[in-house]
Amino acid sequence: MNSFFDTIFTSDFVFSTIRVTTPILFAALGALISNKAGSPNIGLEGIMLMSALGGVVFSAYTGSAFIGLLGAVLVGLISASILAYFTLKLKTDVILGGIAINFFADGGTIFLLYYLTGDKGTSSSLPSKVLPNIDLPIIQNIPVLGDIISGHNILTYVAIILIIGVWYLLNKTATGLRIKSVGENEDAAKSVGVNIMKVRYLAMALSGVFAGLGGAFLSMGYVSWFSRGMSAGRGWIALAAEAMGRGTVLGTTLSSILFGAADALSNTLQLLGIPSELISIIPYLATVIGLLIYAINNTKKRKLKE
Amino acid sequence: MKKTALFVTVILILSLVLGACSGDDTSGEDSKDELKVALLIPGTLGDKSFFDSANAGLELVKKELGAKTKVIEMGTDSTKWEPTFVDVSEGDWDIIISGNDTTELMNEIAKEYPDKRYINFDTFIEETPDNVYSMFYSTNEVSYLAGALASLVTTSEMELANSENTIGFLGGADTPGINDFLVGYIEGAQYVDPEIKVLVSYAGNFTDPAKGKELGIVQYNSGVDISFNVAGGTGLGLMDAANEEDAYAIGVDSDQAMLFKDSDPEKAERIVSSAVKRIDIAIFNAVEKHIAGELEYGTHNEMGVAEEAVELAKNEYYEELPQEIKDRIKEIEEKIKSGEITVGTAFGISTEKIEELRESVRP
Repeated sequence: MNSFFDTIFTSDFVFSTIRVTTPILFAALGALISNKAGSPNIGLEGIMLMSALGGVVFSAYTGSAFIGLLGAVLVGLISASILAYFTLKLKTDVILGGIAINFFADGGTIFLLYYLTGDKGTSSSLPSKVLPNIDLPIIQNIPVLGDIISGHNILTYVAIILIIGVWYLLNKTATGLRIKSVGENEDAAKSVGVNIMKVRYLAMALSGVFAGLGGAFLSMGYVSWFSRGMSAGRGWIALAAEAMGRGTVLGTTLSSILFGAADALSNTLQLLGIPSELISIIPYLATVIGLLIYAINNTKKRKLKE
Repeated sequence: MKKTALFVTVILILSLVLGACSGDDTSGEDSKDELKVALLIPGTLGDKSFFDSANAGLELVKKELGAKTKVIEMGTDSTKWEPTFVDVSEGDWDIIISGNDTTELMNEIAKEYPDKRYINFDTFIEETPDNVYSMFYSTNEVSYLAGALASLVTTSEMELANSENTIGFLGGADTPGINDFLVGYIEGAQYVDPEIKVLVSYAGNFTDPAKGKELGIVQYNSGVDISFNVAGGTGLGLMDAANEEDAYAIGVDSDQAMLFKDSDPEKAERIVSSAVKRIDIAIFNAVEKHIAGELEYGTHNEMGVAEEAVELAKNEYYEELPQEIKDRIKEIEEKIKSGEITVGTAFGISTEKIEELRESVRP
């Protein structure tokens, strides 16, 4: 048991939790915005995957990591806009549309990868760039805290800033209020002259941008190449994190961290001789417990109301 | 309107899926005496592992033996495998090659089409119908060499080797197929240094390089200076971890240093060698024997270091290793070939035994 705590209370563990959380957090914030507008985007998983490839391709052909990042975000934006066009304009079922995007991404990325590199597995033959890790001045010299907070990928800091950004957007700006009003009561919003279509388009597009950042982190921060299926369920976990966070920025952030910590824990615990089957259920167990707490709270509230 | 949108979406997806699936079958006209060989992949190409290697073997068959070939990627939906198998068996293919997950299906189908000939490129199931030739690679033997190499590197004075004699193993899943690598790896490592410690991690999947990197970093932070990945796409993350944490890695299935050689030479340098299965050579040899009428159908053949069906990749990075390490590896190779060393296997032994083995080398 001692070694258990030795494992958790280390700066390495907290550092790795932050790193594991980053892509989940990006996608979860994206899920939050689109859910707030009442058009759930379950295509996040696929959008992340396409952006991950987009980042690699753009950076490889321009030689610039920054343009690669822009490319990834652009791919995210475009694919989310296509999804929005289908679901909002052409009235496809939003869930079906999301599923279609995921399938499209799964096959489409491999197709494009094969077309560009002649390889169906990884883009390792493309000289793509990676986004830099940043050592924070002053903070990096503080013991423990410096080890934890400093030295992350630049996108991790972007994610942290975006938490505040999303909170500000949703709670302090007119656009945010419109997004929420459209999600909560479409008719009421319409009656006061809110352009529902426009607001939902914007929310979808933003969720694509966020998923795009998450995808860029995977292929240009975490590792330095694209490999097929590399989003590996993070888009889905992000949806769960958003649901568990009850649609609040703080809740979504905390549950993303919970999922990140559970995953980091499952990596570290393997070395302590706990059976791997047991360890691999940790992230899922965390989900079930989280949803349970959520359900209990909800029932209590409902009872109070009655 | 809704229908139109759905229709367009479906067409879009279909066109991509079909585009990705259609292989090239433009190889010349049908002549009657031409050998026709079909390869059915239970999955998709691009795994950097046995599917790609089997395909390379088929390319060899096409080029060297002038056969008409076709590769069919059957996808991961196993319910589609049987109809594909039946279709191909009904066709005029002389040899149908498949393997791994399709073994049982193939054995069933083969019995129904006794005139057809089948080659199983990778299975540990020994039961083989009369018209099937099945092959198996002693991955435990090449892992023995990988373990010995890891052990030699960690106890050496090499630049990035640390003072702790701990090596790592990153598996895709806790299954007999993967643990067969592990058993050989541990035995090989212990042959060099009986006191060696091995950190074992399983990723739980084969397509998540970020997870692989994360597990790799944990290992390298815990005193490991060289680790062996047997985890497909997930395992490639280990190479990034090795690069970042200044340590060594060993690749698997194909010569993985070559993946990064041009795009990222620094990363390639960290990959001291790879445990390679020569499925391509094995398939080529089998087809060649078939043509000569010497292929023994109805038999299950295990091929190891002695048959050169498995080997450590000896590329320019391997050549840069200290001479005494290369000499020791050569010596161990000879001993495996002569049968002086026999390597244990994970097939047919209980989970508890594997657990015991893992426990015995835990730091």
